[in-house]
Amino acid sequence: MLLVKDFVCNGCSLLCNDVSATIEKNEVSSLGVCKLGHAHLTSAASEAETGIVRRNGEEKRIPIEDAIKETARVLSEGENILVYGWTTASNESIKHGQLLAEELNAHFNTLASLSAYQSMSHELHSMTLAIDLDYIRNNGEFIIYWGCNPAESLHRHPSRFAVLPIGDKLPEGVESRTIGVVDVRETETMKMANHRFKIPIGQDVDLLKALASELKGTSSITEPLFGIPAVEILGLVRAFKKSDCTVIFYGSGLVNSGNAEENLSALLNLIEVLKNDGKEAYALPMFPESNIMGALQETKKQDSQQSILTKIANGEFDTALIVGDDVFSEIPGRAAKALRKSKIVYIGRSGGLTDSIADISIHTTDPIISGASTMIRIDLKKYELVTWNAEVLTIDKVLGKIHELVKK
Amino acid sequence: MCEPKTCMAFATHLALGTISPDDCPPLLEAGFEKNLERIRELVAPLQSAAETGVKLDESKCTGCGNCVVVCPVDVALEPGTGIGKAAKSDATVFRVENGISKIINLEKCRRFPPDRMNCRVCEQYCCTDAIEIW
Repeated sequence: MLLVKDFVCNGCSLLCNDVSATIEKNEVSSLGVCKLGHAHLTSAASEAETGIVRRNGEEKRIPIEDAIKETARVLSEGENILVYGWTTASNESIKHGQLLAEELNAHFNTLASLSAYQSMSHELHSMTLAIDLDYIRNNGEFIIYWGCNPAESLHRHPSRFAVLPIGDKLPEGVESRTIGVVDVRETETMKMANHRFKIPIGQDVDLLKALASELKGTSSITEPLFGIPAVEILGLVRAFKKSDCTVIFYGSGLVNSGNAEENLSALLNLIEVLKNDGKEAYALPMFPESNIMGALQETKKQDSQQSILTKIANGEFDTALIVGDDVFSEIPGRAAKALRKSKIVYIGRSGGLTDSIADISIHTTDPIISGASTMIRIDLKKYELVTWNAEVLTIDKVLGKIHELVKK
Repeated sequence: MCEPKTCMAFATHLALGTISPDDCPPLLEAGFEKNLERIRELVAPLQSAAETGVKLDESKCTGCGNCVVVCPVDVALEPGTGIGKAAKSDATVFRVENGISKIINLEKCRRFPPDRMNCRVCEQYCCTDAIEIW
């Protein structure tokens, strides 16, 4: 059967909805989808739904229904269960996961606690965003990417929203905007920038404070900062002063460099200095996981990064149900080693470290194929995914079956 | 009185190929011979260009769509691309297919006759250096 559709791509957190594809016998032809999205759709279209159990280093493929029964048994026998992952699962699956966690008296948390929760719970955002990406396309005059690199992780961010497109107040597109990039290394995103700053790891707060002081007029930059000539930093300051609408996109470079709280507070201060000068200024987080914002918004209670990692590292959980995410690739080594001692069940797409070491793996098809579910874009806008094939095995269906068995 | 009135406007017309260096009266004055000769050399390739070289290395392309959105021809032919939307028609110079940008109508590039413009925006905004113009 030939299927041609406009669809929503969940290859990353931009949830591109201006794209289309044809799927014929698992062969995918797409239009407008980036390399990441096309690879995501292609692999999802030919996902093999299987169940795997691993015992004593031996791997055995079993029918899905048997894997579900085995999972229900393991979860029922668990004493301290962690239900974890979720940043690429749909909102509906996340809700279902919480119901299952309640049934099991398990601890529910998401990988969003590692970065997005730190950002969004900070006073900088207070769990909401003042503007969305469409507003930025129409108004964002000075765009800064700070500790994030969309050219390598959110490919279409610059072309769809922030750098190149024409906007209501930016009729010349990129010619009307100024672009800055701050990072600890040379990045591909820097190629588009008018202002490029390579700073040492952990020095973000110093640059943020220096910029705010210069803008307030409480100090004057006359000497190089981290080897960057004063004249270049003053050029950045002039760009701030010239812009009526500044948007700073920041990513894991700012949040995961060890000084998250201090960095975010310094960023907030810089935004407030600009606003006090009568300018529009905003900061927006940039994280690539497709539904990281859904994992935040749909979760009733989220542990902080420190809290959940400490619990994991202390070996508090004897069983872990990991859904959608490759948790073992994301969490720090000490926590990963401790979690490895638990009984691990993985539900999600095949591939990744977590899938390869889980005691039970249940491979499902991604919601990009099943549709009938929602995700939340990085700017908190909700999108409904399009259905290509409603018959495939989804995380939601698997959770439903496990839930029924656990109840019994 | 110069026409165009400013040097920048004159330079733009030079790049467009609608004017030649010999149309600049000050350049024809004594003492500017070397400058005139240098500018003649610079614009000569534009004046004689019959086609352009635009190469897209698909192994480097991420399908970001920067070339689609920034190309003035694409924006004129499929206006949605100007506001960042993906090119869907077969009319544009660039279109992202199967995750990779493809040049589907090279002859529409402004570097071709009759425009022969020294436009390099696609190359300039290609973050991965997948596009090369010569």
